[in-house]
Amino acid sequence: MSWPVFKMALRLRLPSTASAAVGLVAVLLVVGALFPAVGHSFGKLKIPKGVADLLGGADYGTLTGWFRSEIGSIYGPLLIAAMAITGAASTTAGEEEDRILALVLAYPVKRTRLIAAKAGAIAAVVVIIAGAAWIGLIGGVALAGGGIGVLDLGAFSVHLAFFGFAMGALALAVGAATGSRALATGAAAAVAVIGWLINGFAPLVHAIAWLKYLSPFYYYATHDPLTGGVDVVDLAVLGFFALALTAVAMVRIQRRDLRA
Amino acid sequence: MVDAVRAQPAISTRGLSKDYGSGHGLFALDLEVERGEVFGFLGPNGAGKSTTMRLLLDLIKPTSGSASILGLDSRADSHEIRRHVGFLPGDFALYPKLTGATVLDFLAALRGGVDRRLRDSLAERLDAELGRPIRELSTGNRQKLGLIQAFMHDPELLILDEPIAGLDPLVQQSFHALLAEVSARGRTVFLSSHTLSEVERVTQRVAILRDGGLVVVDSLENLRKVAIQRLEIEFSEAVPVEQFRDLPGVREATADGRHLIVAFEGSADAVVKAAAGHDVRAIRTHEEDLEEIFLRYYRREGAS
Repeated sequence: MSWPVFKMALRLRLPSTASAAVGLVAVLLVVGALFPAVGHSFGKLKIPKGVADLLGGADYGTLTGWFRSEIGSIYGPLLIAAMAITGAASTTAGEEEDRILALVLAYPVKRTRLIAAKAGAIAAVVVIIAGAAWIGLIGGVALAGGGIGVLDLGAFSVHLAFFGFAMGALALAVGAATGSRALATGAAAAVAVIGWLINGFAPLVHAIAWLKYLSPFYYYATHDPLTGGVDVVDLAVLGFFALALTAVAMVRIQRRDLRA
Repeated sequence: MVDAVRAQPAISTRGLSKDYGSGHGLFALDLEVERGEVFGFLGPNGAGKSTTMRLLLDLIKPTSGSASILGLDSRADSHEIRRHVGFLPGDFALYPKLTGATVLDFLAALRGGVDRRLRDSLAERLDAELGRPIRELSTGNRQKLGLIQAFMHDPELLILDEPIAGLDPLVQQSFHALLAEVSARGRTVFLSSHTLSEVERVTQRVAILRDGGLVVVDSLENLRKVAIQRLEIEFSEAVPVEQFRDLPGVREATADGRHLIVAFEGSADAVVKAAAGHDVRAIRTHEEDLEEIFLRYYRREGAS
């Protein structure tokens, strides 16, 4: 991988990553602080099963359920996917559309090493966000009165990171293959949203229940890391997709004309 | 680089083509640029100049044909070629939020570092502003950064797409001096322009491209020979215009009282000697602008 490209890509993403990380920590602290006051009354809500599945069970009465539904099912993956997808799309296709890649690739930099460096920078962004999630959760749980172990919170953050790797790699692959920022962002965001819906709804209909295996959300959330720790198989699936999609990005950009 | 490679032409293309469909692109370009030349690559917008440069740097792949740069294959050896080439893209753009200095540091790192003194002296000569964010710079000041990054590793070959665009006249002078220096040190410069006047002072040879095809490759000296000159001669009394019309090389002769205007190609000898038979009060010359020759090449192809 090209170190100058990695450092530059990361440098350009750092301001937005830092503010997203700080925002995430703040939200987690607030969510934790609110639990003692509202968790028990929210816990008495009767929520239809389909909606509850989309919200990570909607078990608001327990601290684990509270964090799983408030952060784990939507806010956490939404934030990390948004950072990974926009970062990957703009560092590849975005720079190509901005005519910067045409200059950088006229330097002695191999396209495969350029993609490796860009992928590394996006992975670093994802790790920063996941790390912020861990710190925020530790603080939030403490404010809520404790009850979830630091390692289980860490396991959740690791699942979050691997979900981010997969989503970022998808945007990277589409961006490298097409050179279109809109297409890269749109395709990856569509997969994230459809994956979320499939994972929530497919299990309700027996005939299409198998569809859930196609959803990145299934591997991210089904084996609840907040109670069960990391699930090695789920992480392996997400990690495999991230690496495979990065390889696709390398091959596709190699064979393609750079945009004028 | 090894000596055997040094003897090879700086740029050599064989049937190089890039077909974008519906008549756009570059078609069967055969071009040779020698070491140490400052070579002008001319043509109107859309003629295929940038396409050629992008093909040479393997940013795009040819539909057919091949190119060798400094004796190396433009596709197979592209990585090695790019070490020895400085490139200024026609639509030069950089990270807008960063300063010129930061971006130049980044680009230097891509080459594994460059001589800082050379970079600083280029910045000084071109009067570049390195401390301000790029988005705050004018087109001309951005173009200076583009020139610095192309020259800062003292490359064997410079491929410059519209380098003069946006530069003010003083900076143009510095740029011309820079070209003369690198050329004197045996470096090769391949630069494009859509107007001849931008390059006529610095290039030895030019190629004129139109609609993706080569129209002519020649020295500026030869191009000037076919230029049409006009002499306006003022006599003390009216002279017979027929006497001038039949002279060798004369294309046109018109008289308006005591004023005669003769347009001719090549030597002025016959016209001057014929005029000497009369009482001449004044002679004014109107040499055809090179630009007109250049435009004639564009049109000639267009008419056929």
